[in-house]
Amino acid sequence: MGKIVSASVQKEAAEVIVNSISELDGVEAEIVERTNGTHPRNTVVANSSPESWRSLAEKLYSEHAVDHCSMITGIHWPERDEDRKWEVVYHLIRTGVRDPPSEDGVVQPIIVNPSTVRGFGTPVEIEIHVDIADSMTPSVDSVQDIWIGADWNEKETWDLVGIDFDGHEGMRRVLLPHETPRGYHPLQKQHNLRYHGFEEMYDDAQGFMRKPDDVGKIK
Amino acid sequence: MAEMWISMGPQHPMTHGLWTLKVKVDGETVVDTEPDLGYIHRGVEKICEARDFTQITTYCDRLCYASANTWSHSYIYAAEDLLEVEVPERAEYIRLIAIEIQRIASHLMWLGAYGPDIGNLSIMVWCLREREMMMDLLQELGGSRMHYNFPRIGGVKRDLPYGFAQRARAKLKLFLNRIQEYEALYDESTIFLVRSQGVGYAKPEEMVNHGVTGPNLRAGGVNYDVRWAHPYSVYSELDWSAPVERSSIKGADCYDRYRVRIEEMRVSASLALQALDKIPGGADTHYEPEDPMILAKAPSRAPEGTSGAHHFEDSRGESMFYIAGGGEGRGKQPYRVSIRSPIFITIPFAAKCMIGYKVADIPAIMGSFDPCIGETDR
Amino acid sequence: MTEDGQNYSVFNSRMLVDVVGDVTDEALKASRMKDVIGVLAGRVFNWGQRKSLFPLHLGIKCCALEMAAAGASRFDAERFGVFFRSSPRQCDVLLVNGPVSKKFADPIVRLWEQMPEPKWCIAMGECAISGGPYFQSYNVLEGVDTVIPVDVYIPGCPPRPEALIDGFDKLRQKIIRIGVDVDDVRPDSDAPIIIGDE
Repeated sequence: MGKIVSASVQKEAAEVIVNSISELDGVEAEIVERTNGTHPRNTVVANSSPESWRSLAEKLYSEHAVDHCSMITGIHWPERDEDRKWEVVYHLIRTGVRDPPSEDGVVQPIIVNPSTVRGFGTPVEIEIHVDIADSMTPSVDSVQDIWIGADWNEKETWDLVGIDFDGHEGMRRVLLPHETPRGYHPLQKQHNLRYHGFEEMYDDAQGFMRKPDDVGKIK
Repeated sequence: MAEMWISMGPQHPMTHGLWTLKVKVDGETVVDTEPDLGYIHRGVEKICEARDFTQITTYCDRLCYASANTWSHSYIYAAEDLLEVEVPERAEYIRLIAIEIQRIASHLMWLGAYGPDIGNLSIMVWCLREREMMMDLLQELGGSRMHYNFPRIGGVKRDLPYGFAQRARAKLKLFLNRIQEYEALYDESTIFLVRSQGVGYAKPEEMVNHGVTGPNLRAGGVNYDVRWAHPYSVYSELDWSAPVERSSIKGADCYDRYRVRIEEMRVSASLALQALDKIPGGADTHYEPEDPMILAKAPSRAPEGTSGAHHFEDSRGESMFYIAGGGEGRGKQPYRVSIRSPIFITIPFAAKCMIGYKVADIPAIMGSFDPCIGETDR
Repeated sequence: MTEDGQNYSVFNSRMLVDVVGDVTDEALKASRMKDVIGVLAGRVFNWGQRKSLFPLHLGIKCCALEMAAAGASRFDAERFGVFFRSSPRQCDVLLVNGPVSKKFADPIVRLWEQMPEPKWCIAMGECAISGGPYFQSYNVLEGVDTVIPVDVYIPGCPPRPEALIDGFDKLRQKIIRIGVDVDDVRPDSDAPIIIGDE
């Protein structure tokens, strides 16, 4: 049958990482079993303080071969306590990808057999939550030089949510227009969508009771 | 020499979508590039905070419109992780059939659009002819030619129609023959070989550090695939292996990326055929919608503090949804939906790959990475 | 013309053309032939315009794939004279097939202004008509007709390729109603023309 990485192998690899990063100050890690009913995936979920984030990232990159930064999410929690109003969630993956070796000038592709991966070749998902205290310009250390995939993710997080990244070179608007006013970050909770709380549309979906002003209007 | 910035602006027949690529050229050689995205930024992440969990599926179809099924399933798996729902096995098989046929259709669209970039205009109508065949199959399953809104939290919206298995087998077998026609058209064309080989090298470790996954990575000679690395659905029950290309010492070039997608179409077709044979309950039985064989009951509220995350193998790479629960309506709406688009991360990397080549190589390199701007701009 | 002391006259072709043109114009106006020729020429131009509508190669979002499918072999649009051109200076029709974001509002108006008269605009799909499913978004305009005058609206999300071809047919029916005078591209009143409403 088809081969997949077994859950127990992933659990062992995840345990190695959890034990290693729990040694850092300000980092608490555990294994969470994420599942959608068919296969459990043992994920490393860690909580880190903003000060220890940089050393945690360097440790993961150098000691545990975490080579892929998947996504960086910024969340604004206005109802939480003072020291947890902003949150950055990092999703990292250890893919176990190596450059294929070449013999006599011909490159041999690396075909990984998923049922026999062990140790540092095991793919592991890692999720890190960093809680940031409330301020007008929340910020966290940038990891742009460790994983280049984090570059545009950080730009997008600053663009839409407003969380700044210390040490990030070339921060600019990527999704919103370049002329957007400084300080406008739409995914913060104080900005509402258009027609927020506008119930009239649903009460009269077909417009039977539309006001006479709309007759003859083109739009 | 005189250097100048050329803007390949939003409206451009080559760019496969609406974005600007500013290119700094020194004569004919590309010296620097700067991509400019955001022309169709619709704020989907913000809109999803005001929608119920079942309403978000329609938005996810429209993220990458060339492969709509893969994106709505990517969201559904994350929502099922959040709401802790178990999906019946027959529904997983039906989803797999829909996803793999959609992957074929997406790669066909890429193949058809890549030809005109290189100069081969006839391949466009040939590939669209096959894509119509795949879209007919998906229309039987989902109800519309694009944007099917097919999966539901806990299963699928309806079962395989009567006679679907027969038609799907016939069409997929015909398609497996037709792939040879495309290979013949491309591989026997000297112009295509000269324009795509030796152009746009990228090495796997560099690609992974930049965040590039999927067929672009597998063209470099490593078979990392989310379907076996972070397993989901019933891929473990079927016999398949992720296609890999032998690259050169300098890395994967455009020709390798083209070949890996041709092989992926073959693998997807074989997966769909196997799933039709192995589906529990048989491919010819038809259960009514909301039968527990194809749809499990799912809660509609996610309490605060819960979260769901899922990595998914999309036609262009690894896509991911992260959903934080506990939003409006006492948890009926999510607090934050965050979407990872593979092409958003691949485009700066592809722009870097172009440096050092000629202006005429820009369409070849950009097209070979398969950009689809709908998912980039969310 | 003739100068004193010279025994030749200078008469260049430019002046000859002007003189002949003026004389002919007066003659045609007097005998009412000019109106007849105007009507005939107008009808010929009108036939040429509506039988060969060249849309712009602009693909914004999902409806662009249905536009591509309409141009492919199953729903061949080229048999109706519809041929996609890459440069706005060579096009008649601007087919807007997706939501117009605030960043793209300026380029789309510039594309519209670059197109030479007579030109028409077709709004294809819900996003171009009214913002579509993204009507609440902070970055999407509520319909392209907030910045460009639209002639034909094609609803659907996405509209089938047959619907797009039918939309071109509605545009042709609208063009055929344009008056015989070639300058009269838009009728006087502001009310939209609803085909089939007479």
